[in-house]
Order: sequence, then C-alpha cells, then structure tokens
Amino acid sequence: MTSFLSAFFSGTAQGAIYALVSLGLVLVWRGAGIVNFAQMGQAMFTTYIASQLIQNDYSYWSAFLIALISGAALGALVDLGLMRPLTSRKNSQLLTSQSMRTTIPVIASLGILGVLKALAGIFWAGEERGFPSPVAPNAIKIGETNLAITGFDLFVIGTVFLTLVLTTIFFTKTGMGLAMRASALNPEVTRLSGIKVGWVRTLGWAISGIASSLAGLLVTPKTNLSPNTLDLLLIIGFTAAVVGGLSSLAGSVLGGFILGYVISFVNVYSAPENVFIAILVFLLLALFFRPQGILGSKQVRSV
Amino acid sequence: MLAITNLVTEFASIKALDNISFQAKPGLITTVIGANGAGKSTLLRTISGLERPTSGSITWFDEELTHKSVEAIVRSGISQVPEGHAVISQLSVAENIELGGLFRKRIARGDLATATKEVYELFPILHERRNEPAGSLSGGERQMLAISRALVSRPKLLLLDEPSLGLAPLIAAQIIGIINDLCRSTGLTVLLVEQNANTALAVADHGILLALGKVVADLPAKEMAADSSLRAAYLGY
Repeated sequence: MTSFLSAFFSGTAQGAIYALVSLGLVLVWRGAGIVNFAQMGQAMFTTYIASQLIQNDYSYWSAFLIALISGAALGALVDLGLMRPLTSRKNSQLLTSQSMRTTIPVIASLGILGVLKALAGIFWAGEERGFPSPVAPNAIKIGETNLAITGFDLFVIGTVFLTLVLTTIFFTKTGMGLAMRASALNPEVTRLSGIKVGWVRTLGWAISGIASSLAGLLVTPKTNLSPNTLDLLLIIGFTAAVVGGLSSLAGSVLGGFILGYVISFVNVYSAPENVFIAILVFLLLALFFRPQGILGSKQVRSV
Repeated sequence: MLAITNLVTEFASIKALDNISFQAKPGLITTVIGANGAGKSTLLRTISGLERPTSGSITWFDEELTHKSVEAIVRSGISQVPEGHAVISQLSVAENIELGGLFRKRIARGDLATATKEVYELFPILHERRNEPAGSLSGGERQMLAISRALVSRPKLLLLDEPSLGLAPLIAAQIIGIINDLCRSTGLTVLLVEQNANTALAVADHGILLALGKVVADLPAKEMAADSSLRAAYLGY
C-alpha cells in the first residue's frame, strides 16, 4: 500500500510537470501549427537564468518570477524574430508545397534549440549543477509516520494546479482567451472580426514560454540542470500531448497526468529501465487506437 | 461611398479581377452578380484585405483601404460575412457574437451590450440557442450568426458573400429580407455578392454584373433585372 501511494503521489507530481510541458506544446501547435522543438531549450535557458540569479544572492522567489518573465519574453522573441518572418505571406509564396511551409518552422525550432544549448554552454560552461527548491524534499510526517508524499511534491502539485486554474479562467472567461481560442480554430473569421491574429499568436508563444519555464523550475530540483537535462521532458511532454489530443488544451493536461502515472507506476512496480519502453508502447497504442487523442476532436468536414 | 478604381487581383498571373471600377453609394444595396468564377468572391476578399490587389485602389469615403490589414479594415467600419456561413463551430453562439465586438470592448463596452441585444432581437432563435455550439445550428441559423457577428462590430459597410448559398429558398428570402430592412432602417451600406441574380436584384438599388473578372454591366437594379439579353448572355437563363 505504501508503495502504491508513493507511486501515486510521485506520479501526480511528475504528471503535473508533464502537463505543463504538454500544455506549452499544444498552445503553440494550436495557435501557430508549429511543433516547437526549442520549447525545453527555452526552459533550460530560463532555469539557468534563475540559477545564476540565485547564485548572485537573489531570493528564490524573485529568481522564480524573473525566470517566468524571461520565459514569456523568449517565447515572444522566437515568434517575432523568427517564426513570423518565416511564415509571412511573402515567404510562403516562394515555397510551392504546403509540406515545406509546415516543415520549415519546425526545422527552425530545432535550430533555436541548438543555439540555446550552445549559448548555455558559453555562458555557464555547460556544467551540471543543482537547482534549489523552496521546500525540503523530505517526506511529510504526521507524528512519527512518514506519509508517501514529500513537501516538494505538494509544492509542485499546488503550483501546477494554480496555474491550470488561472489558465482555465483566462481561456474561458476573458476576451483575450476567447480571441486565442478563435484564432486557433479559424484565423480567417477571427481576422474578419477585427482581431490582430498575429499578436494573439505571439501571446500564445509567450504563455507557452511561461508554462515550459515553470516546468523547468519545477523539474530541475530533482534532475539537476545541464544544457541537455530537459530534452527528455520534451519527448514525454510531446507523447502526453499526442495521447491527450494535440488539438485540445484539456487533453494535453490529461495526457500529462496519464504519462506521469504510467512512468511512476512502471518505475515502482517494474524497473526504471522499462520506463522508456512503456512510454513508447503507450504512444504506439494511443496512435493506433485513438490517433486524434483522448480529448482531441475528429476532423469534421464541413458541408 | 465605396469606390473601386482599376482594381486588378492576380493569382499566379491569372487575372481574377481585371481592371474593375465601380462605386457603391452609401445607405443603398449594391449587388454584384455573375456566374461561378466571375470573380465575385475575389472582389469581396480584396476589399476586406484577405487578398492583395496587384494594382488599383479601394477607398471608403476619403479613406484609402488598398494596403491596410484585414483587422484595420474591420476597424474602419467595414465588415465581411464570408462565404459558406462562416462561423466557428466549436465556439458557442454567444461566443461567436462576442468575437465580433471584441476589438472594441475597451472603447465601447456599453454599446457592445446594446449591439448584442439588437442582434438577438433581430434573430431571436440565436438567443434561444446562445449556449449551444455554433456547429449544431442549421445552415440558415449559421448564416444569421455570421451576419450577427459582423453586425455587433457596428459596420458602416457590410460585405455579404453569397448569403443565400445552400439555403432553402424560404430561409434565403427571409435573410435577404432582414438585410434589406436593416439597410433601409439604419442607413447601412450593403455590398451583396450573389449568384442568385433574381433574389439579389429584387432588393438591390444597383447592380454590377461581373464576367471573367470584368465589369460588363453597371446599371440600376431594376434596369438590370429587366434586361433579358444581359441575363441570357452572362447568367445563362
């Protein structure tokens, strides 16, 4: 029972982080039609910024906040500096095939990933370092008994839960949230409604940047920080997004939690080395039996 | 007044609009008719900024629209109801309507509520179904929703792209009738693109006949409707 509970709680905490990564990927995918391979590179970079600030005697929370703001700025910068010019009307007229138009931004995102890793290597010598957490990683005690959940897990779950609540309110209750959903679903009708779809898209990149930056801050106290640490997180987050449904924000979050449980339970009841096989099998099963994802909508042909 | 002067729009060197000039007078319904492929939709899409003209100019009173962005053109008071009952099916009816007024939420919050109330009065069925996804509406209701989305932006010029396409004749007549009433009662300027020439000419003040991207007739609607040789030559009946 103890091992079950501990797998459950650690799965929830890990799943919460995967949910953030997956949410970040889906936000950009829905808004811009781009799979952003640079996403966790951006998160790695902003986590290094936070780490540097903490080294320079900033408090954890001010470093935390600055990392999130840098995440938003970096996301917006990728869109404005690279993706927008690459997908401009003038540029896309030079490309004859639709597949090239969709592939080029994806390859560009791989380029950004490389650049960010190189920059981290130059600035921070690429050495692996620890990253602090604001709460102790020990199990929570009631009297003398250890509970199966750590204070850090609770911190992660709480932070992500708050983020998801705020995100939901933003998307369902605000005009800007409506504009973002509308732009993703039908850019032409949205533009014809007087909304500056380009800027809405940039906002999507920025929010995605915040979500992944937060994921970086929450995962590195356990994994340590190096230019390559977060690569794995991108793969898991991507799997989560596909499992949940690339077209659905709620699906991406659900997929994140499912992946968290799969990984955590395989870890506890099987062996850590089987985790990757489990992820792969899970992805393939999802692709075979529900390629549109759990909450993804089927392509409906309008008549 | 909407003035189109020597307008050319090309797709890969094919001239979809070939040197088009005409005017649409304020407060009146001008209809653009023509067979499939005459360039009617391209004309509307060029006015609303979705397509870029190769040359020529589009002006609304003194305002040059030719190289403005789609969003800026909407904000100048020109709203397009695109072809095919274009609504966002996954959003609710109320959200589709809200979307149309979103850009002026900060500057005219009070009027937005009034405008929303007005479109619900115009189309009570939309109020009844306001919380349902737009995708669940019938074709006619979707067209009403698309028009409502455009109306809450308080346009001065309404561009309608084949509003009767795919609708039962009775529903189409009802929608065209509402547009007509709206124009007469509020002074809204309407540019109505239609394949169904009879329906359009019956309510319009002025008719423009397009064929292969050129204006072949520019006449008061009554005269155009009466000219059987024009119909025979360009519309095939």
